[in-house]
Amino acid sequence: MSLRLPLPLMTAIVSSALMQPVFAHEQAGVAGGLASGLLHPVTGIDHLIAMVAVGIWGAQLGAPAIWILPITFPLVMAIGGVLGVLHVPLPMPEVMIAVSAVILGIAVAARLRLPFAAAAIVVAMFAIFHGHAHGAELPRAANALAYGVGFVTATGLLHLCGIAIGTLTRWPAGERLIQGLGAGIAAIGCYFLAQGVGAFA
Amino acid sequence: MKLNSARLLIATAMLLAGGSAAEAHIVAARLGDFYMGVVHPLTDLQDVVLWTATGVLAGTLGAAKGRWLIAVFPLGLLFGLLLGQVFGAASTQLADAAMMLAIGLLLAAAAQVPTVLLCAMAFAVAVIRGAANGADLAPETDRLLFAAGLTCVGYAAITLTMALTAVFKRTSSDSATSWRAIAVRALGGWIAAIGLMMASLALAT
Amino acid sequence: MRAIQYLRLALLALTLALAVLIRPSALRAHEAAMGVLEFREVRPGAFVGRWSIEPSIGASRVDLRVPPHCFLRLPEMNCGAKGLVGPITITNLGSNMSVVLIKVVPIEGEPRSYTISTANPVVSVLGTGAPTLEVWLELARTYVNYGIDHILLGADHLLFVLGLIWIVGGGWRLVKTITAFTIGHSASLAAAAFGLIGVPERPLNACIALSIAFVGVEIVKQQRGEIGLTARYPWIVAFSFGLVHGIGFASALAGLGLERRLLPAALLFFNIGVEIGQLAFVLLVLALIWAHRRLDAVVPRWGEALPAYLIGSVSMFWFFGRLARVFAVI
Repeated sequence: MSLRLPLPLMTAIVSSALMQPVFAHEQAGVAGGLASGLLHPVTGIDHLIAMVAVGIWGAQLGAPAIWILPITFPLVMAIGGVLGVLHVPLPMPEVMIAVSAVILGIAVAARLRLPFAAAAIVVAMFAIFHGHAHGAELPRAANALAYGVGFVTATGLLHLCGIAIGTLTRWPAGERLIQGLGAGIAAIGCYFLAQGVGAFA
Repeated sequence: MKLNSARLLIATAMLLAGGSAAEAHIVAARLGDFYMGVVHPLTDLQDVVLWTATGVLAGTLGAAKGRWLIAVFPLGLLFGLLLGQVFGAASTQLADAAMMLAIGLLLAAAAQVPTVLLCAMAFAVAVIRGAANGADLAPETDRLLFAAGLTCVGYAAITLTMALTAVFKRTSSDSATSWRAIAVRALGGWIAAIGLMMASLALAT
Repeated sequence: MRAIQYLRLALLALTLALAVLIRPSALRAHEAAMGVLEFREVRPGAFVGRWSIEPSIGASRVDLRVPPHCFLRLPEMNCGAKGLVGPITITNLGSNMSVVLIKVVPIEGEPRSYTISTANPVVSVLGTGAPTLEVWLELARTYVNYGIDHILLGADHLLFVLGLIWIVGGGWRLVKTITAFTIGHSASLAAAAFGLIGVPERPLNACIALSIAFVGVEIVKQQRGEIGLTARYPWIVAFSFGLVHGIGFASALAGLGLERRLLPAALLFFNIGVEIGQLAFVLLVLALIWAHRRLDAVVPRWGEALPAYLIGSVSMFWFFGRLARVFAVI
């Protein structure tokens, strides 16, 4: 006997909700958590390009990578996230993230064809580093579940973007474009790498 | 039949859109405690994620296994509500996260879960969520009406989710690598990831 | 076909739970815990306010807010030259007090009434001029919401609609039947609201309960292979019982004391609200029927007759309860 709230009722509820903050449900942190979870993966350029690169590379590799990656990738990221939240230290996280962008960019540009197991290990290792970075920078106040939902959704969508771009390989011109894109990603990765190494020096 | 599916989709969309923004307690003031029981889980992200996960898992396993949940799930909610009232409320965050992880992994692996295990898991989810839903009831809330509302919405939500998933996945006729199967499995992977993140955050704080 | 049976059983169990449980507090829309507050203008801009019906929580505990330019200390209220124009609200409406009617009696012109309810906690008091667009919107908002609330809390109406769906099944026949029910209750709602017909509320409620019992009997007949009246002419049955249920809707509206010139519009909006709620219920039931078919969830043979008997039992339970009230009055 679910209640399907019709539009006028919704409007009424929302307006009364706005008027009476005392009624606010205990899940007040949901909107904030969701927003920060969604935004977190897309605000850092180095993260963003690496995520997209993984998708493109998966599409280039074809089956089974193209369908196993979307299933397992967020999960592996989450494992990294757990390590980050629990503050388990990883060696040189900033540099590794930049390196991941460089290597993935090169792999896309060169159409590198690794065996699936090798590719999976490479991607999984980078995914753990990226997840770690997100977990470590997590805002404490946020609603944990909402943050998780936002974070996983954003990561998954970026990944799907990459796969969608990757399907351009079916056309020769598209393939050129993708290789160019890979080179661009590698270049940006190099910039971040230089920055990271500079920070160390 | 086509018309019905379209209606159903619209209805579900309305249900979700309506629920997420609504404030359960305002609904209670307006429509009484029965509808508070109906709306309360729909405004709670934990419920939305876990119920969806359970329904999708049962739906992918096919009608023969899934249809047990039509009865098991609402009964579990009722039982959980009762337990919560008797033993007092405890934080369910870790249990929620564990169930998300387990169900998500089963979905991602496209495992052929036996009926008994499926029912046990659904019952566990329902008990946990039933207890959680009853945890923050105001003293003046009519428990009986709230329980009735919660049971009704549990029945409707799980039945609709299972049926929609079954329609989407078209069950056994599809191969394991069709895009529909992959989409469902990817959803499972995402749910497991959410569960993992949530568990770590619950442990960290 | 047995899939439908099973689903119906489940649906029924739900509606029954709703029906039996919801009675005491939720049917309050039918017997609202009301308060009536009257403001009588004694000189231009100055009013004397008086509770002609005190709400059950006590007049002193009502948190009444008047437009900011008005100064309120009951029984006096002074609004100055601007007059009583602007929002009036009660912030602590709840389950103890669902509706408050505010009557404004100006020195010149017709008295006006405004309804503050949990659905509509703020009303705008209008000047004496012709109704503006804002007035119409306000009216629409109030009464559409009120109609939705009314049908969603009217377990008896919903149970009747469920019984109709049960007998008629889906498709065109259902569309025609529900339309007939709608036409029936709209007609009698209008007639009752304009005072063309007047039926005492308590016997009427008993009749409504009896109409549900009738549907239960028809279901049993259908299961035995007899073609009952409802199966043969569903729209006629739906229309005539719609007439009965419509008078029931009107009694909810009657307590709110509307301004005469706004009555037709309020009636229309209330009816729209009722239809929205009813349509939502029908769509939900159809969605669940579809889901049960899809999941191939069937009822065991021994349980087939159960739903009809449950419908019958609940409605007779209501009937006797309401009958007892009829005689308690006489």
